[in-house]
Amino acid sequence: MLIWFLPVFLVFLMIGLPVFFGLLFAPGMLLYLAGQERDITLLYRNVYNGMDSFPLMAIPFFMLAGELMNRGGITMRLVEFAQALMGHFRGGLAHVNVLSSMLFAGLSGSAVADTSALGSMLIPAMEKQGYTRRFAAAITAASSVIGPIIPPSGIMIIYAYVMGESVAALFLAGIVPGIMIGLGLMAVVKLMADKYDFPVAARKTTWGERGQASLKAFWPLLTPVIILGGILGGVFTPTEAAAVAVAYATFIGFFVLKTLTLKDMPDVLAKAAATSAVVLLLVGAAMAFKTVVSLSHAPEILAQWILSLTNNPLVLLFLINLLLFVVGMFLDAGPAIIILGPILGPIFVSLGVDPIHFAIIMSVNLTVGLATPPMGLVLFVASSVSGEKVERIAKAILPFLAVEIFVIFLITYIPAISMTIPRLTGFAN
Amino acid sequence: MGVLLGLLRPLQALLDVVLSVGKAISVLAIGMMVVCILIQVFFRYVLGNALTWPDEAARFCMLWMTGFMAPYAYRRGGFVAIDMVLLALPRAIGSALAMVLLGVAGLVLFVAVQIGYGEITGFGSRFATASLYLPSLVDGSVVWERMPRYYMFLSMFVGVCLLLAVNFELILRSVVTLLGGAGHLRPIPGEAMIEAE
Repeated sequence: MLIWFLPVFLVFLMIGLPVFFGLLFAPGMLLYLAGQERDITLLYRNVYNGMDSFPLMAIPFFMLAGELMNRGGITMRLVEFAQALMGHFRGGLAHVNVLSSMLFAGLSGSAVADTSALGSMLIPAMEKQGYTRRFAAAITAASSVIGPIIPPSGIMIIYAYVMGESVAALFLAGIVPGIMIGLGLMAVVKLMADKYDFPVAARKTTWGERGQASLKAFWPLLTPVIILGGILGGVFTPTEAAAVAVAYATFIGFFVLKTLTLKDMPDVLAKAAATSAVVLLLVGAAMAFKTVVSLSHAPEILAQWILSLTNNPLVLLFLINLLLFVVGMFLDAGPAIIILGPILGPIFVSLGVDPIHFAIIMSVNLTVGLATPPMGLVLFVASSVSGEKVERIAKAILPFLAVEIFVIFLITYIPAISMTIPRLTGFAN
Repeated sequence: MGVLLGLLRPLQALLDVVLSVGKAISVLAIGMMVVCILIQVFFRYVLGNALTWPDEAARFCMLWMTGFMAPYAYRRGGFVAIDMVLLALPRAIGSALAMVLLGVAGLVLFVAVQIGYGEITGFGSRFATASLYLPSLVDGSVVWERMPRYYMFLSMFVGVCLLLAVNFELILRSVVTLLGGAGHLRPIPGEAMIEAE
């Protein structure tokens, strides 16, 4: 009977019940109907125990670091750096948009932060140079999904915690896929730039200007080096690295760039606390949900059903990518990972797929879903930043989505793309 | 309508104050979390002394930050949901469905409050934390004793109580809107929230 919690949950989710309540209501109701009222107390305890976690603290810290960097004008320096490197190509500002997202991804793990921070700066600049507003908004939204793929990444911390994987391994596994998506987007921009005669900068940046821009961006660009270097060198745990990133962002904001003031701090801290609280509560509920998933034997029953369709892992991975893509169209990456990870992860691991590889397939696919119509969150953010209608951005983003889907399939069928760095560094088998 | 507004106004005023105080505590808590972990890193790597308390103190702060900030976020629409069906339905049906969903959320929170009360008054809350201490007066002198886990459990109980209060406020607002009294509603202070990805 307990297995019915899954369809009940999905029905309530589809009609608009917030995910947090759905994660508790469906299993709670089924436990009550099954006469297991005492286990409902267990759900409450699991929410609490799920939140009371040291590794999970990395989430508020990375969010806070992102907020500090954004407020401290670090985004502007990254854009200037990208502009100095790529601004002189045909379609230069579109390339700058993608490169800035790749650089920004090393500082923040959030696609929404990327879209709002870079979009508010680059979309008006692109329009001024002659790009259409819908194209500028579309490339901003499409490139922002790199944010949670290149480390650090909020959703990878959530996945690692919920599924008991290594955060460091997931961070490392995300590097190459993130870069591939960035390069893929740049290739599409190049093709479109040639075909549609995109604007080109009036003059080429001199080497002196490039050097200056690099110097200005030096401190911000050191952040991912500190985070990843600290974790890989065994100096910090990911949580400690995140706290150090906060301290570093505060230091450069106040003392190096001198762009942060004490007056900014309450708002910065409150924003990070509010977004983190929602995520932490969701992760706590996910831990409770996971317990009921195990009690109900849902993964085993679903695995039997899936294997009755086909037992070819390649076909199964294709089907699962389709499922994730459809889910990603309607649900944001974090909650989708929280819901589907405990159900799908064990099935594919039992089929011989490496857990880190599966984590990356899920993370990248669901992250791309953030920019997928009709419900992609970053489409709405890009719309509010640019003032362009969501439907028009949704159409303009299609060529970029095509390349992102292509990369998802490359990652799926060539495990070496994501697994090589974790294996070389000893974080995966 | 008058009865509903009579219920809603004091509740909204109370939540405005309580959640503002909660927000201030959360701001302090997230700052303290960073400080605790930096102290931990400094002592371990610079002074070669692995402290035990920063980890637990930071988690304590994180739990209270969540307890106070989650209701603040819920009030501003910060809880992730798929609202496509709600928006696609005719307005009256959509509003009625939204009320049902708020009722379901209320039921979850009501049960959570009951369980939470049992947890903070139960046996488990009397166990002490591993490394956090509180001062107490014993025979006129100050003695440092290990903090009961009650203070950590209390964070979630406070959180679900506040969520239940916010949920009740949202139900009242929905009913008032459904009855055509949207013009009488005072907007919820602060900006609407976008989720965290």
